[in-house]
Amino acid sequence: MARVLFAWELGGDLGHARRVFEVARGLRRLGHETAFAFQDLLALGALGASAEWFQAPLIASPATAPTRPPLSHSEILVYRGYGDALSVAGNTRGWLGLFSLWKADALVADYAPGALIAARAARLPHVSIGSGFSTPPPRDPMPALRSWAAIEETALRRADATLLAGVRGGLERVNASAALPANASDVFRVEHNVLCTWPEIDPFGARADAEYVGPQDDPSTGAEAHWRASARPRVFAYVKAHDPRLPPMLDAIARLPGEAIVVALGLAPAQAAARSTPTMQVHSQPVALGPLLADCDLCISHGGPGTVAHALNAGVALALVPQHLEQVLVARQVVSTGAAVMWAPETPPAELPRWIAEAAANESIRKAAAGSTLRGRKSHDAAARVAAMLGA
Amino acid sequence: MARIAFAWEMGGEYGHVMSCAALAAGLAAHGHRIAFMFRELRQLSVVPEARDYDVFQAPRCAREGVGADVPAGYVDIMSGCGYSDPRELTGLLGGWRSLMSRWQPDMVVVDFAPTALLAAHSLGLPRVTYGNGFFVPPRSTPLPPFRFDAPIDVGRLARTEQAVLANTNAALVALGAKPLLRLAELFDADEHFICTFPELDHYGNRETSGYWGPRVRFDRGTDVPWPEGTGKKIFVYVKTNLPLLDPLLDHLASTEHRIVAYIPGLDEARRRRFASRKRVVCDRPVRLERFLRDCDLLVSHGGEISTGALMYGVPSLVFPTHYEQYATARRLEQLNVGVWLGPGATADLLPRAFAGVLDPRRVDIARTYARRYAAFSPMEQRRRIVARIEELIQGRGAILSPTSSQGTP
Repeated sequence: MARVLFAWELGGDLGHARRVFEVARGLRRLGHETAFAFQDLLALGALGASAEWFQAPLIASPATAPTRPPLSHSEILVYRGYGDALSVAGNTRGWLGLFSLWKADALVADYAPGALIAARAARLPHVSIGSGFSTPPPRDPMPALRSWAAIEETALRRADATLLAGVRGGLERVNASAALPANASDVFRVEHNVLCTWPEIDPFGARADAEYVGPQDDPSTGAEAHWRASARPRVFAYVKAHDPRLPPMLDAIARLPGEAIVVALGLAPAQAAARSTPTMQVHSQPVALGPLLADCDLCISHGGPGTVAHALNAGVALALVPQHLEQVLVARQVVSTGAAVMWAPETPPAELPRWIAEAAANESIRKAAAGSTLRGRKSHDAAARVAAMLGA
Repeated sequence: MARIAFAWEMGGEYGHVMSCAALAAGLAAHGHRIAFMFRELRQLSVVPEARDYDVFQAPRCAREGVGADVPAGYVDIMSGCGYSDPRELTGLLGGWRSLMSRWQPDMVVVDFAPTALLAAHSLGLPRVTYGNGFFVPPRSTPLPPFRFDAPIDVGRLARTEQAVLANTNAALVALGAKPLLRLAELFDADEHFICTFPELDHYGNRETSGYWGPRVRFDRGTDVPWPEGTGKKIFVYVKTNLPLLDPLLDHLASTEHRIVAYIPGLDEARRRRFASRKRVVCDRPVRLERFLRDCDLLVSHGGEISTGALMYGVPSLVFPTHYEQYATARRLEQLNVGVWLGPGATADLLPRAFAGVLDPRRVDIARTYARRYAAFSPMEQRRRIVARIEELIQGRGAILSPTSSQGTP
């Protein structure tokens, strides 16, 4: 029996918390004890008295706000404050304090770079879990996030140097006994990397030094929704209500022949009802994806790895409307297999109806999705793999 | 030897860390074990003695201040820091309870940290509050507003308090703890170290066992001599994000005053432009203990440094940046020992502000105030607070007065 602390520091939405809860449940089933250290405690508040949790040590962002998007993973961390030795020192002390307070035997990190820095310093066994984006392949220099854009190597090296100075300086201040990182890439090096996704949709492409276990959420759970008629095409959309493209998207989907089910997360229930039509159900809460995707022609999504994996698992083609970089990277992978089209961000929103109608009628992506290598692939139990890696 | 945890949840700047560290040093010197449960951990770099303490991140609302208005009372601050959502508050309270249950303090010293107070209350832990008066409201029902410069919608405040109480109780129940009858219970403690004097209390007078004088630590930093010559001796301690920084420096440069300025992060160009034989720019904090005895005016953002300077008879020109500093500035103004300029002030107001605050009558009042509390000493204050905390830990009933010279063990 081991005491396993789960850490989540960066990244928004509930995806990280959900994955962590799923893996933690699995570890508890195997007889281990778990606790959580999250940057945002909101999701933990729902667990009540049965769970134990802590605030993840926070790090102050630099005083001057960045003027452009980050170039590399090193720069993502620099933008979050990891280029400042005093911040790293404080953050690391916070993590070391927590490890010893809770007497953790091991750490499971879901996009938790500070926890990983501290775990290496404390020689605490650790495993990374995630969907790929948070554990980029370590390279020297750390590669550009947008491989398709022209970026000078010196800029990448500068970001690496800033990160390295911050992390080394911070660790020196807390008298960490373990070896200091020699390169920025060492900050991203993880002993055990459990990817809750598949190589085909890994944002950085298939890699050998990670173990793919597939998505950990069960697509058959959740509120039920049903196709009402037999008209085709059947379009399922899973999008965020705060996306400014939602209204034109809903207009376009409503005009499609066939039938549509839209989950617009965060939409007011009254608005969802108001936007529904005889051929388009609009939901504001998540629904069980499995039964819907089992008989569906197109899935419209932002490109979250979970939805993408479930759609391809059911052989359903995708029309992807990414909101952020991680989703763009996933979308590019799926597009390269021929099973999806991706909305180009610079296109005017007025083009959306035509683009969606074309996607719904696109035989080529439908055929590629039907033949996807992911079709019918079963996920492995991440908790069992994590336990095995930790020797627990 | 006892285990003593310090909790800091809300507010910014270095004052919280510095004050807690000063008190912790006194307790650590008596062999007690210290834990810092702090909102910001970067600032540990300014208190190297914390190397020997246990250090933890304090729970902190991820949506702090979202949609919050200018606060009129304590419940408005709570609302903006997680108390408007029972689930979020359960997350925060659960985080504090885990820290405290695991570390098992014999005493929790609560700086600006209502959720730490709530956690200690729910776990039945001994606790004291330690702050400048703003951090703990008088325990009435409803809690009194602190805003006195604008009309207050009492009904709205009462509704906010009801919502905050309901969410607090939802969080307590979710974690298996007993709900509160009144929100004021959250602020029950074994002792309140209200570290100010009644004239400067943000809430005005309150029922308390005494005022302990401001939390100041002026025995650290570099000794800096005042520049030679004539002219008023003005100490400037502001941040570079002060909107009137350039006009302020230009105005001071146009006078004959002797200036010592500590402006962290001031760029080289500004420094070169401003510095002269009569104007010294320091790059490290200034040791204020002796320095302030000779000072005619403090220019700062306000807060505890300005009330501390007043103990030396030094009036203040204040540029408040948040509500607590503003409330202190208004108190200084009421006492006639300070002038303040808000964030929207324009440069043309500077000459009059300086003339007003350097008016000899104001200086006289400041000196009179200092004489009223001539016996106040920050070191003696801390010694008494340490002694009182030890009394409480040992369960002794004797009440140690903050101000009398009797009763010191």
